[in-house]
Amino acid sequence: MDAAVEVRGLTKRYGDIVAVDNVDLVVPRACAFGYLGPNGAGKTTLIKMLLGLTRANVGEMRVLGLPVPERAGAALARVGAIVEEPRFHGFLTGRENLRIAAAARERRAHARIAGALARVGLAERADKQVKTYSQGMRQRLGVARCLLADPELLILDEPTNGLDPAGIQEFREFVRSLVAEGRTVLLSSHLLGEVERICDAVAIVDRGRVVTQGAIADLSAGSDWSIVIVCDDPSRATGLLSSEPEVSSITPDGDTLRIALAHGHSLDGVAAELNRILVTAGIGVYRLESQRASLEQLFLEITTRLDGGA
Amino acid sequence: MTTLPGAHLATDAGVPRLPFRLARAETLKLRKRRGLVTVVLLLTIGVVCIMFVAFELFHASNSTKYGPAGGLDHFHVAVFVLSQLGSIGAALLGATAGAGDLGAGVFRELVATGRSRLALYGARIPGALALLWPLIGIAFTAISLFTVGLADGLATPGIRLFVESGLWLELATTLAFFLGLALGSLIGSRATTIAVLFGWIIVVEPILTHVSALGRARDALLNASLDRIAPHEIVDRDLRLPMSLWIAAAVVLIWGTASLVAGAWRTATRDA
Repeated sequence: MDAAVEVRGLTKRYGDIVAVDNVDLVVPRACAFGYLGPNGAGKTTLIKMLLGLTRANVGEMRVLGLPVPERAGAALARVGAIVEEPRFHGFLTGRENLRIAAAARERRAHARIAGALARVGLAERADKQVKTYSQGMRQRLGVARCLLADPELLILDEPTNGLDPAGIQEFREFVRSLVAEGRTVLLSSHLLGEVERICDAVAIVDRGRVVTQGAIADLSAGSDWSIVIVCDDPSRATGLLSSEPEVSSITPDGDTLRIALAHGHSLDGVAAELNRILVTAGIGVYRLESQRASLEQLFLEITTRLDGGA
Repeated sequence: MTTLPGAHLATDAGVPRLPFRLARAETLKLRKRRGLVTVVLLLTIGVVCIMFVAFELFHASNSTKYGPAGGLDHFHVAVFVLSQLGSIGAALLGATAGAGDLGAGVFRELVATGRSRLALYGARIPGALALLWPLIGIAFTAISLFTVGLADGLATPGIRLFVESGLWLELATTLAFFLGLALGSLIGSRATTIAVLFGWIIVVEPILTHVSALGRARDALLNASLDRIAPHEIVDRDLRLPMSLWIAAAVVLIWGTASLVAGAWRTATRDA
């Protein structure tokens, strides 16, 4: 089966600024896919191009197997999207706003309005003007609008903005329920923890480029190990350990040292050796543990590396 | 795949086909703007009622100086005033139809459905005219009823003048709506569109019409052409520019078409 989204060599420039730079991206079907990057990385621009809101300078895009913008009408008929923040006519009620959105979709979309409102928990407030809604309610109404398409693909740009902790938790469960129904969710976010909790796969983007992509489990499995040491003399310990060939870098934080290992060394062997060096030098070691980089660490490592190279 | 509550009940029954759905949505957006609807009501039906009440009060206070409220002369005045104020109301509707979705950020949401931008733009025309035409029609009907009902022995317009005046009113206000729609779609801001349109309709165009140094170039002004097309009794002959009826018709056609095309072009090409 085709991927939900396929992008090849996509580039978008605004004058001299390259917002999206030669991006290749494949979003598999029936999964939650995170498009992760810092603010200004080009996430929203890519989404806008997928949705036909702005034109690409170069590149090819396919949504649900159909080329866009050539066949955007057919492709987007089964796509629900929230870009940046959902926008509505404030003087209309929630239900009326959905009627307007449904008018632009297939005839059957009108019959989905009540169900969509119920599913996001807005049935009782549906006949109030949207200008009286909280930010969280607007977000939920935006999701209800997406559901009018009975979407195979949902594209959600920073969807947890404005949600309180309970709303965020509810949203996570909601996304997982959509995926369980066989739908695909492409979720852009700068919130690493959110993506890690919700998504099955991720693409990390920085300065318009996709730096890495794949299943979160695979990315984490491929990431480097580090050793965390808590000791009574971190500055002397740093001096002793930094010359060891197994050690790639040491990041001190109070009495804690985070030691990144060079590739090709056995974790267990290195941990024992580092412990021996410190104890022999008379440094008290309170704690020593191994850690695999989280998605957040991987993300920071990648973007920091790019910053250094810039 | 879907498990939306009630999805098994989903049906097309009672839902109109696409062009009508979109147009109906546009009408909904306009008629739910209470402030806008109130102003347009005042500028059309309201102003007609106010005029004839005033005519009647003058007549009641001094019947030797002021004649009956109805009759041919007051019909001419009322139709002319309605054409001017109704055009302002129509321009307001057009500006709102053209820029309303953009200003609210909803245009992006509609484009993201995959629906053609031209279909979205095109729906604004019948959607707004479904509101404008009845209002102008009711206002004109009120003029006709007052004209005949309050004539008190004065001459009243013939059927032909009624029909010509009614059609001319609908034409004048529809063109003002087209201008508002196009400019709103081009600029994307309702407030700016209204300011520019009012400046043009109320100040610039009347001044240009009276600058004789412009010669035949004034034939290109929409207002001058509409005055030429108007029934003879509505617009004073002295105020009309000497141009042929065919040129006037061509100018009106060009203004209308150019407005709609410009608005469509911008809607199709702008970043949403």
